[in-house]
Amino acid sequence: MSTAETSLKPTQIETGTAPRFVRRLFHNRLTLISALVFVAIVVLALLGPLLYSQSPIRPDYSAINAFPSADHLLGTDNLGRDTLARLMVGLRISLIVALYVEALNIVLGATLGLLAGYYGGWLDILVTRIADMLFAFPGLLLAILVAAIFGPAVTERFGGIGRLLLVAGSLSLVSWPLMARLVRSQVLVLREQEFVTAARSLGADRVWIILRHLVPNTASLVVVASTLDIASVVVNEAVLSLLGLGIQPPDPSIGKMITEAMPFLEANAWQVFFPSAALMVIVLTVSFLGDGLRDASDPSNVT
Amino acid sequence: MFKLILKRLLTLPFVIVSITFITFAVGYAAPGDPILAMLGGRTDPEAVERLRHAYGLDLPWQEQYLDYLTGLLQGDLGLSFRYQGRPVTDIIGGGISVSISLGSAALLLSLAVGIPVGLWAAFHQNSFGDRASMALMLILFSVPSFVMIAVLRWINYQLYAHGLPSLPVAGWGRPEHWVMPVIVLASASMGYIARLSRISMLEVQKQDYVRTANAKGLRPRRVIWIHAFRNAALPIITVIAPSIAFLVTGAFVVENLFSIPGIGYLSVQAIQQRDYPVIQSTTVILALTVLLMNLITDLLYSLIDPRVRVEG
Repeated sequence: MSTAETSLKPTQIETGTAPRFVRRLFHNRLTLISALVFVAIVVLALLGPLLYSQSPIRPDYSAINAFPSADHLLGTDNLGRDTLARLMVGLRISLIVALYVEALNIVLGATLGLLAGYYGGWLDILVTRIADMLFAFPGLLLAILVAAIFGPAVTERFGGIGRLLLVAGSLSLVSWPLMARLVRSQVLVLREQEFVTAARSLGADRVWIILRHLVPNTASLVVVASTLDIASVVVNEAVLSLLGLGIQPPDPSIGKMITEAMPFLEANAWQVFFPSAALMVIVLTVSFLGDGLRDASDPSNVT
Repeated sequence: MFKLILKRLLTLPFVIVSITFITFAVGYAAPGDPILAMLGGRTDPEAVERLRHAYGLDLPWQEQYLDYLTGLLQGDLGLSFRYQGRPVTDIIGGGISVSISLGSAALLLSLAVGIPVGLWAAFHQNSFGDRASMALMLILFSVPSFVMIAVLRWINYQLYAHGLPSLPVAGWGRPEHWVMPVIVLASASMGYIARLSRISMLEVQKQDYVRTANAKGLRPRRVIWIHAFRNAALPIITVIAPSIAFLVTGAFVVENLFSIPGIGYLSVQAIQQRDYPVIQSTTVILALTVLLMNLITDLLYSLIDPRVRVEG
């Protein structure tokens, strides 16, 4: 319906690509809702612990396995620790890990993929070979290996922050090769296109072509792939943590919260329900957001 | 066909060397001296040297890697850091058969349910049943295994609380111990296979040869099974290998949460004791297993699809 409206107004002044992109993005109701929910989660994770008076670590012995109440809004776990306080800190850790992993994927994966695709030659062989080597490990296997072997020493030397970075680094080992491969194949197509040839014939140097033509034309791919990848990073961080390889106690992690609370399911199922629900909400919103971004950035969908 | 097999076999050494070398390198770079850790307070230099030699840790890294590779070929996974002189095969050997039987059961279940559900949904495209079953399969695919376990355990507890028959929540040995782990392990690949089977069947039904078969008056049943299904089955075969990769990560979670003494459970136990050779061995074994399954799938594919044979 609004498609018809826009096409009826040929004189409509376009205000630039960014607002148009945003309009197209949020034209999809599901994407809009997902974006709002995701922003709400981020705000909750960042500001929640400051505003909420309960401690995520200190136990309340008068409320073991307590149901949601005015004191403990989402109840407590088997040690009497507040579920909401732990959940907010756990969410914060999940999001920080996801942020680090995506940053590494972009800095390492996207950059190497772009350079490999554009320059070819030995660099291309090197990058694709390393990516192939890392691809040989199924699933999280390599991340488990690296986190297991370096974990104890890193925690001893650098504490919780070091552990967080190690978790992000080992998860990135599993995902940057995919990013490099995606960007490389996109660049292989782009560099043969007329506008790149035209730029080169006009005397543009390689740095200019990379920054002015290749980076903008792969940016949407990178953004979409990173957004979709956040969902699996959040789940993978939970898996590493529940195996005892990720975030160390007493710091809360969503994966650890779910599995540690499972034996107390009979006493208080809420302590399992809330972290599981939070995890699923993140996974779903991020996936919908990624799909929305992909649809909005694909020129073939322009109406 | 032979060219294809040859091509696959030629890349095989590269992949095997990647897997073993990266695994070795991570272990080699491990911080701390395992020998000193093993001896604890005792620091008799002679004993340290003797033990270091017994573990081959006094050699330069190239020789250590070669020793590691030759050991691997002979089924020798090295010695444990935790239990002095105890071979790693001793520690995880028993877990391998447990993990393989659990994984095979899960794979069979996901194929046995996924393919029929996907085909059924394709034959009833856009019906309520199609939408409902595909939504369910999407949920199975996207809900992480540990959340699935929580849900199943909650349902199980409700059954128990109402005096209905329920399942044990942990342990291994009796048939009822299999039910929940296999369902959880199978769910992700089941969802994936069902959705793929549906798409693949819908794609094939649009093809000219299916229209021709229908037009010449063949019975629908014959068109479906002889003409459509055989072609729709091809993409389904290719996802068996990625499904096994799902099972590998899944096995770690499922075995640990259900206390099943498989390779994933034993290696996490070993990790807590900082017994690095065990986790290295697990990584190599699982990666090589998946590699082997990939190879078999590829060859199977080329056997079934004549086009691959010609192009290969």
